[in-house]
Formats: sequence, structure tokens, C-alpha cells
Amino acid sequence: MQCTYCEWRCELTGSRLGVCRMYAGENGVVRERFPYRWSSSIPSKVESVPFYHAWPGSRCLVIGTAGCNFRCRYCSNSFVAKQDPAAIQDGMVELTPPELIRKAKQMGCHSIVFNVNEPAVSLPSLVELAQEARAAGMPMGCLTNAYTTEESTEMLGSVFSFFNAGLKGLSAAFNREYIGIPSAEPVVRNIRRLAALGHLEVTTPIVESANDGEIEEIARFIANVDPEIPWHVFRLLPEDEMQGACYPNIDAIARTLEKVRGYLPYVYFHNFVGSDWVNTLCPGCGAVVIERFSLGCGGDRLCSFNGQGNRCRSCGREIRLHGEKIAWNAGEAPS
Amino acid sequence: MSLAVIDAREWQRMFDLRTGVRVEEDSPLLRMVTELQARRPYPGDFDDAGNRWVTDTALDLIAGYDPSFVFLTYAWQFFVARYSVLTESEWASMVSSVYEEVNRFVARSGFTPVIVGTGGMIPFVDFIDVTRLDGLALSTHWSARHAGLHDGSRRDLEYLAALPEVERIVPRDEFRSLFAECRGDAFRIPEYLLVARPGYLFHTVGGAFRKVRRVPAPAHAIPLATTLGEASAITDVRGLVDSRISDTKIALIVVEGLGMDDFPWPHRRCGNGRGWFYYEPSDAQYLTLTTGRHKVFEYPTGYKYFKEDTEEKEYPLSGFFTSVPEDTVASGIEARSIAVGNRSMIMHMASGADISIECFARNLFNQGTLAVVHRMDKV
Repeated sequence: MQCTYCEWRCELTGSRLGVCRMYAGENGVVRERFPYRWSSSIPSKVESVPFYHAWPGSRCLVIGTAGCNFRCRYCSNSFVAKQDPAAIQDGMVELTPPELIRKAKQMGCHSIVFNVNEPAVSLPSLVELAQEARAAGMPMGCLTNAYTTEESTEMLGSVFSFFNAGLKGLSAAFNREYIGIPSAEPVVRNIRRLAALGHLEVTTPIVESANDGEIEEIARFIANVDPEIPWHVFRLLPEDEMQGACYPNIDAIARTLEKVRGYLPYVYFHNFVGSDWVNTLCPGCGAVVIERFSLGCGGDRLCSFNGQGNRCRSCGREIRLHGEKIAWNAGEAPS
Repeated sequence: MSLAVIDAREWQRMFDLRTGVRVEEDSPLLRMVTELQARRPYPGDFDDAGNRWVTDTALDLIAGYDPSFVFLTYAWQFFVARYSVLTESEWASMVSSVYEEVNRFVARSGFTPVIVGTGGMIPFVDFIDVTRLDGLALSTHWSARHAGLHDGSRRDLEYLAALPEVERIVPRDEFRSLFAECRGDAFRIPEYLLVARPGYLFHTVGGAFRKVRRVPAPAHAIPLATTLGEASAITDVRGLVDSRISDTKIALIVVEGLGMDDFPWPHRRCGNGRGWFYYEPSDAQYLTLTTGRHKVFEYPTGYKYFKEDTEEKEYPLSGFFTSVPEDTVASGIEARSIAVGNRSMIMHMASGADISIECFARNLFNQGTLAVVHRMDKV
């Protein structure tokens, strides 16, 4: 029998587990092997995920599981995403969807965001969690590599209302060598679909001498889908199999991105401390609408929100925003 | 204004340490610091060159600034031991490596050392799952042997009391009274402090990414090696420095992950807490060393750290810290002082040194180095 959660479409007959090792075939049904088991459940700034245009200033509960359907050579979370999921279950916590929602509320979280690994490897649990979250009035978002089948992309759309999709590169050679997939075609297809299903931001890690030549091509693709999509360009930290590789040159990437800003106004460049490229500038007048500080590695924070709702205070132009500004302690019980 | 300089390899930015606002200042002293940062990129927490980076950076900074007091931290062996499966001989080799590195600093600098181990490490045994309590259990500062319990129910307390892996459940008032002199800092203490038996860690909500292999050992005493005198308690170490700094160039050197059993220098016993409580490697232990006063409650383990992380929080490059701690060892020294270490986001706060250079790592991801210049008026 075939798994249809992602485009690997793995054969799960007998004891075969597929690429992500998170599903098994049982009595003709694809079964989740480790339901409700989370590698992470930590309160975090929504900007640090990163989401720069969704519920700015809010506190989200970042969750993750284990396993991944990609084999990125530079994976920062390889100790969760690349390990045999069965071998790291002793480090997981088991919380049913109602328990997880209760913890999120106890920690004053406004939303739940799936991060760390790929949500497609844990979709049945996430579908159940979404029901509880909806009942509790908690929005859900996720980071995804968008290598899902068309069917499971729709499932993602039913679970999450805001997405950050990874578009690591467009060339087949890059995707084969650095990501371990035959091509980015399904990713490109799903990015178009996710843009229609909910709020979408896109993230691209730049690997020196590997995909840095594709920056403008990727930007044009995103602009073609929707020029208001926020794009996060990450300076790669050479981790995992790429330890010892060069750190991408910040100034060189920034020069390229200056050109991109002309047709993709919400372009950000971060994953390094103190980046100058983390503020939201009004595409109409250039005013700083949202000010942030980046600590790199998921440490971005809101410094000030200068918009008037979803409009620039200076010129009135609409700013792409999913949800309104939320005060950091809005979910805390009054003391 | 204290200045902060981030070096992210081939790229630097200067900020006001307090506000995080970008600034541009220039002076021969700042150029010396930024050029040193550019010359000495941090190899990474798991890289065996990490301790060598401490020595080399400190020696360069001494050459450029001529301080009388140096505060150093060597932490590579702590990070590696925490997350790696090590044989006894591999651990012995790491201890030998840090021994040589510290000795190289002492020999090359000529400073009189005061060397402190933060406590040894023992194999991780198991987790105590406290994620399903009615209340909220939190751990902070890597110190998952302790957890704070917020809004715990009677059922939670009964459940915890029945667990043999839980050593102690300490009500807030009892914890407060153990360090009665610290009452002013006590507003952050959780309702209950949970203490696990040695080898066990509380599994709280949070990120449980990397697989832990070793955890801090029980350390009612930590090792102290110096010729400057005796210090029977961790709070007395500061006094050793104060008493001799006027006529002696002193290096206070913290070696992480080494306790009484594996400390390679001839040493004496130094009390590392009070009563049942002992410090684990943490901000609190550093602050206690450098202020000479117990700092258990300033940023206590298990507090709701995230409530304070508002847009208004200052010191964005300084982790939990919401202000520069007062009366730290170097801040009271008239002569010049520096700090260098590979424990991130603490050297510039805990030491009070005129100039500090530390690695800037988050969750052990290497983001470069942070230099902080608190004082420029001594040149």
C-alpha cells in the first residue's frame, strides 16, 4: 500500500516505513506510528518562527514531532528531523490534543505553530489538534517544506490558516544534491496552492555557491504567485553535514536583495544577529511599519508596531497582515 | 552607554547594549576590539578549538588593553559531555585538554589564577515527566534538575510526592527563608521548586531537542585552585580577588563541568550553596561567584521567563537579563578588566568587565561573537 501524505508516495507494505519513518501500513490503512508525541512544546514569539506578517507581537506555542521527508544536508534540527523517530521517543512528551491546548493556554499562547520538522509526517495528530484549537479559538500555523501531495496539501489547508513554506531552490541539481528530492516541482505547485488556502510566507536558506545564484529567479517566482508574499531569505548556518562549509557572505546577498525589493517589497534577510533586513517597510512610502530585532536562529522579536491596523500610518497603504497586532502578555491571566 | 558589537563572520554591527539600537562609534579601543573579533571567529560549542579560542582571544585582548583583572570561562567540555556518549578515557582526554589550555593562558599571561570548577557531571538516568500536571512545570537555564511549579493542584503535589525520583518539593516560603537575605529578588520564585534526584531531569513543556547524555552531578562543594588564599564558600571567592587586585594581576577562571573528583589542579573544597541547595552551572552560580552574594532568586530556575520578554524588555543581546547586575567583581575594580568566554550571553553581564568578548550561540548554534564595551574611559 502507498502512503499519500507526501510526494515520495512511499510503499508501506509489510514492515516498510518509508522515507520519514513516521507512518506504517496496517490492515490496508496508513497508520501514524507516534501519535500525540511532541519533541517541542515551547512558548515563543511568532516572529521567531518566522512569521513577520501574522499576528505580530503574539506568543505562540511552538510544537514539533520527529522525522522528516527531506534530507537537507544543512539541517539545523537534524537531531530530531533526521534521526530514526523510534530511537528518540524517550525524549518526547505525550500530550493529547486537549492537553496540549490546555498547556498552550496556561502559557498564555495565542496560537499554535508547528515548527522543528515537517507537519506532513504527523498529519493525523494535527488534524485532531486543529479541532481542539478551533474550539478554543486558537489559530494554527506551520512551517512546511511543501513536498506534500495535492490531497495532503488540502489537509494542511484544513488544519492551518497561516503557512511558511520552504522554497530551498528551484534547480533540480540543487534539490537532488542538497535536499535529497528529485525536483522542486511539487513544492512550486503547492506554494501556489497554499497562497490560495491561507496566509503564506516563504523561506529560502542561502547556501554559498549552491543556490545563491538562484536568488533572483526564486524572487521572480514568488512575485509571480503574489508580489505581496513575505519572503524570508536565511543566511545558512553550516550545520549537520555542512559543518566546516563557508558562511554565506551577508553583504553580497544583501546587494542582490536590494534589486529584488523593487518587485517583492516584503523581502527579509536574517538568521544572523542584528540584521538590518528585518523591518517591514511600507511598499508605498518606505516608512517603517513594523520594527524588529533579530537574534538569529529563531530569536526574532517585535520591537514596535507602527501601523494603523493593517495600514501604513504615513500614507495609508494597506500592509499584508494576517490577524492584528497582539500584545505579548494578552493571553496571561490577570494577576 | 555600553556598546555591543556582533561579529557574524565578515560582517559586524554595533549596538547600544541596553536598547539594541544600532550605533556607529569609532575609537582606537573599539577598532582594537572589532579587529580582534574579525581575526578570531568562534569555532563553535562542540568544536575542540572552542577552548583554544578562549585562551587566544584573551591573550590578544591582554596585548591590546593591558588589564589587571581577567575573567575567563572554558565551557567546551561541558557542552560536549552533556550531549555526547563519551568513554572514561575520552572524558579524561577532554579534562586534560582543558587543563593544558588554562595552563597555557596562565603561563603566557603571567596572571595569578583563581580557578573554579562549576561541578562535575554524571550520566543521565531518566526523565521525570511533569508535562501532564494540572499546574504548569517549567525549567529554565538548562537546569532541568530543578523545575518550577506554577498553579499546582493538590493532586499534582500528591503525585510528585509519590515519585521516588523527586528528591524534594520546596514551597516558595521555605525556599525564600533558606536565602532570607535575598528577599528583594524573590518575586520571581515559582510557588514550588521541584528538585530531582541526581541523574534525573524534569521533562517539562519546552524544547527537548538534543538527547542529553550527562547532567550536573551533586555539587555541594566545588573545587577551587589558587595561591591567593582560602575561600570556604562560593560567596568568598570574590573576596580573594578584591583583597589582592591592588598588587596582583588576577585571572578568575571558571571551568565548566569539572567537580571535586576530576579537577586537574591541586584544589580545596569550596561550598557551593546552602543547606540542601547547591548551584548547578547557571547564571545564578556565575553571579554568586562574581558578586560574592547568593543570587539564587535573581533569575530563578523555573520562573515564567517568557512573561518578561515583552517589546519593552531591554538588553536584547543578553538573554534573560533585564539589567546589568550591580557590584560584580570587575565593576568595582579601578584598574582595567576584561572577560572572555565560550558561555554565551553571560560574560558581559556577570563580570562587569570593561571589555568582554564571548561567543554568541543560541541553542548551541554558532552565530559568531559578541563584544561588549562597558568602559572606554580607562585608556
